[in-house]
Amino acid sequence: MFSKPDSALVIIGHGSTVNPDSSAPTFDHAAVLRAREVFGEVHSAFWKEEPSYRQVLHMIDRDDIYVVPNFISEGYFTKTVIPRELELDGPVTRRGGRTIKYCEPVGNDARMTDLLLRRAAEIAPGVDPAQTSLFIVGHGTNLNDNSAAAAKREVERIAARGLYAEVRNAYMEEEPLIAKWDEYSTQPNVVVVPFFISDGLHSYEDIPVLLGIASESPGAVSTGGAEVFKGNPYHLRGRTLFYASAIGTEPLFAEVILEQVAAFDATHGAAEPSAR
Amino acid sequence: MSRDVTKTLADWLAAGGERIGQILLQRDANGWELRHAEDAGRTDLSGEVGAEAARGLANLDAAGAFRPLKTAPNLTRGWRLVLPDVAAVRRALDYFYPAMTGVWLSHMRGQLVPVVLRETLGRQTGMYRVTQKLTDPQARELIDTVCAGCLKHRLWEIAALNQQAPVFPVNSLPLLCHEACNLLVAKAREVVKKAESAA
Repeated sequence: MFSKPDSALVIIGHGSTVNPDSSAPTFDHAAVLRAREVFGEVHSAFWKEEPSYRQVLHMIDRDDIYVVPNFISEGYFTKTVIPRELELDGPVTRRGGRTIKYCEPVGNDARMTDLLLRRAAEIAPGVDPAQTSLFIVGHGTNLNDNSAAAAKREVERIAARGLYAEVRNAYMEEEPLIAKWDEYSTQPNVVVVPFFISDGLHSYEDIPVLLGIASESPGAVSTGGAEVFKGNPYHLRGRTLFYASAIGTEPLFAEVILEQVAAFDATHGAAEPSAR
Repeated sequence: MSRDVTKTLADWLAAGGERIGQILLQRDANGWELRHAEDAGRTDLSGEVGAEAARGLANLDAAGAFRPLKTAPNLTRGWRLVLPDVAAVRRALDYFYPAMTGVWLSHMRGQLVPVVLRETLGRQTGMYRVTQKLTDPQARELIDTVCAGCLKHRLWEIAALNQQAPVFPVNSLPLLCHEACNLLVAKAREVVKKAESAA
């Protein structure tokens, strides 16, 4: 794709103080890209874990730095928190001999549609999409968060491909509620893909409870919440239900991160000299 | 490239550096070996290989609970991690004590700018904006309790920089805190909210 031995990549995640699953995909994507040696160095940084946004720039040797938010949409974090904590001036920040290039969040990438389709096909092997309702589940009601809009955009793109009998949005806290999945679908097979950047409380516990495939069990997140994905398929409410892990755990997200860097260069130019 | 964290670490090791936090670093026939300092001399440790293994070792405490603060003094024991070279040591340390080698280099180069607590709280927005109501006595108590569970040396105070010199074991790489972490800011929010609901 490209080689940037003189550049550093920083992947920005949210993280959690409660479990390691929130930061795991970001660390995983960083490890994959580090091993591929596309960049001279690759680091991760988190709001709720270490290294923090305030620490990460001290880890970097290179003067040319790409920052990619591993977030599902534009919103409060990509527009307010990350620029503030990294002291960014805009897409390009020049400071102390360094150039920091702030890329778009991964969720904006056009490849997201393919990743959702891939995840849906993987979780329900051999199941005919023409007899399947596909749900893309977002959070909904988040303050200044466009994740619901991003999920809706993906549903429109997937529906336009004409593969699945039905493609629908659903949310945890607003209509259409994922808890009513059987009312909003007509097909014998139902596939549910959480449109989240990582697994955790929502994908391990909240959504399974709303779907009716798990009962409320405080603490499930810290005691092997991933078990819920091993129960597929679930047979309930007269349907066959397949429940996938969060889309952000998809290994191809590493490619999406590279796409964000390429897109930045295409828009802003790759070879901007650092101010000295 | 105007700086080199890995080379700085290599120079420090060559000069006799052997400790960072609770970790002991030693030469090994295959490169380098890291283990919990309290496991020095033990021969019954489970062997791990490669920098990526450090992430799993750093994530959970002995009871299996997640460690959001990696500089908490509760690193698990009973393992030894073998690494081929200093570059791998650096990557492993970035999991065990995230950013600490780089922060240390910035400190030595005069590029680490400590930020006092009032400034950190002052720029918070959203759910953490309320931390700006934290009183000095509340802040003092918070620092004395929360930061007591962290091995870093604080370079900041509530409204001024910390003038105390860091104290670390001989041949130990200093763990430096140049700004309040989100764990402390989140605790500050809890304190303010609790005081408001009690009022």
